[in-house]
Amino acid sequence: MALLEVEGLTRFFGGLRAVGDLSFSVGEGEILGLIGPNGAGKTTVFNLMTGFVQPSAGRIRLDGKSVVGLRPHAVARRGIARTFQIVKPFPGLTVKENVTLAAFLRQPARRDAETAALEILSRVGLAHRAGELAIQLTLMDQKRLELAKALATGPRLLLLDEPMGGLNPSEVDVASRLVEEIRRGGVTVILVEHVMRAIMRISDRVLVVNQGEKIAEGLPAQVVQEPAVLAAYFGKRGA
Amino acid sequence: MNRRLAPWLAGAIALAVLPALAPNSFFLHVAILILMWTLLGAAWNVLGGFAGQVSFGHAALFGIGAYVTMILYLKAGLAPWWGIPVGGLAAALVSLPIGLVCFRLRGPYFSLATLAVAEIVKLVALNWETVTNGPVGFLITGLPPVSLFGASVDWESKLPFYAVAALLALAGLASTAWLRSSRLGAYLVAIRENEDAAEAVGIDTVRAKVLTLALSAFLAGMGGGFYAFYFRYIDPDAVLNISLSMEMVFIAMVGGLGTVGGPLVGAIFLTVVGESVRERFQVGHLIFYGLFMMLAIRYMPEGIWGRAQRLASRFLPKVPGHGAA
Repeated sequence: MALLEVEGLTRFFGGLRAVGDLSFSVGEGEILGLIGPNGAGKTTVFNLMTGFVQPSAGRIRLDGKSVVGLRPHAVARRGIARTFQIVKPFPGLTVKENVTLAAFLRQPARRDAETAALEILSRVGLAHRAGELAIQLTLMDQKRLELAKALATGPRLLLLDEPMGGLNPSEVDVASRLVEEIRRGGVTVILVEHVMRAIMRISDRVLVVNQGEKIAEGLPAQVVQEPAVLAAYFGKRGA
Repeated sequence: MNRRLAPWLAGAIALAVLPALAPNSFFLHVAILILMWTLLGAAWNVLGGFAGQVSFGHAALFGIGAYVTMILYLKAGLAPWWGIPVGGLAAALVSLPIGLVCFRLRGPYFSLATLAVAEIVKLVALNWETVTNGPVGFLITGLPPVSLFGASVDWESKLPFYAVAALLALAGLASTAWLRSSRLGAYLVAIRENEDAAEAVGIDTVRAKVLTLALSAFLAGMGGGFYAFYFRYIDPDAVLNISLSMEMVFIAMVGGLGTVGGPLVGAIFLTVVGESVRERFQVGHLIFYGLFMMLAIRYMPEGIWGRAQRLASRFLPKVPGHGAA
């Protein structure tokens, strides 16, 4: 059975259909790339899966159990963690405090939470910044922090919203390796990303959405050849 | 451990010897006011300073405590030292539905909702005459005889009130200190820093805020109960006035948001300013509060206590495992 099953997911904002009848599933240990043009509804899909926005219709099941209607903190407890496209650190707290807050979800004792936080910080390569205020970090390090916070909640499924946006090519390589390592650690990943180099390299499977609907699904190399995908990105003439 | 307990011990000793040094009963009166305001500033601070939820309605919680303590004393004969904590509990109970409704709103909308709630509570007190005596209010003519360690307590002296106020202020500061080191306190800081991010890492933000409001209400309600017990007279204008809410905001902000010692410093400041200009102006002291608040926000946003801590940390070695705040 798939770890995550999404069926007929739909969300209207007023008269606008941001996501329409979207169905897909993700297997345990898989990296699924979620791509599509700007405004395709990718972030809305993440917001729907994590309880920040409630679906107008459809089912979302983690391990067979519905997560629809849960508030975000309850979804996190079930084991779905997310990062935000525009990073949301706790700016006035130190890097270590940021991650410790997330670690409290699985380790209620402060000492345990701090130990877990430090361990995760060294995994994402941020241990040397542990004592600095989050707001003082570079963008790359803020993205690492965003990832560390999500990991500290002990997720089974990790939703990454453009973790590589704004990074330079060598930073993208570092970030890609990091995502692969996280998967090796037993975490399933859904990755929204515009950096095609990263998507092509690390995704097992790619799901393409446009105007809130699925237009293609399959292996990375195949999907980018599909006429519907080319049309969505480059217009009909290119296809 | 010693370094953490030392300031508390010093404070308790200072409070214990202060009455012996008091030159007159006015001095003791000012000390009682400072202690009461410390409790109220601490009450507001746990919610406003730690969780960043700015309430303009704490007068309602104060007033509920005052009315419950008073009514229980006058109608059921419950002595104020029981009535004060019961008043606090009543305020905490009332705060639960208020929190569940108002915390659906964020930022300025939450603040406006608390303002509205306070006005509603005041209107209820003015008009529900069978329970509250309406605009007339209540008057205590005498307090019950009580003896402590064999000696009967003299309610005409200020000393017993001073002792109660000191205990309450210490309770307020101690709950702040507890909160700061607790997991709930960490969650509140996360909520203040970024509420969405707090939810995303698994923090039940509504629950944390409602619990904190209840703690805040308990402290504010006890403050109201003490007010009724000390001044022996309450009416809606006295204990449900919006200026009370503002004074709590003032104390917490000028003293230092989210700090343990801030409310004490803010209370000293507010009481000294208030008492020194009250002679000359009827309500003019409110203008001075406003002025000082603006100055503090502009030049010392971390408050007097926060600034003092920052300056001290430059000269003193840092206590390990003891962050700023």
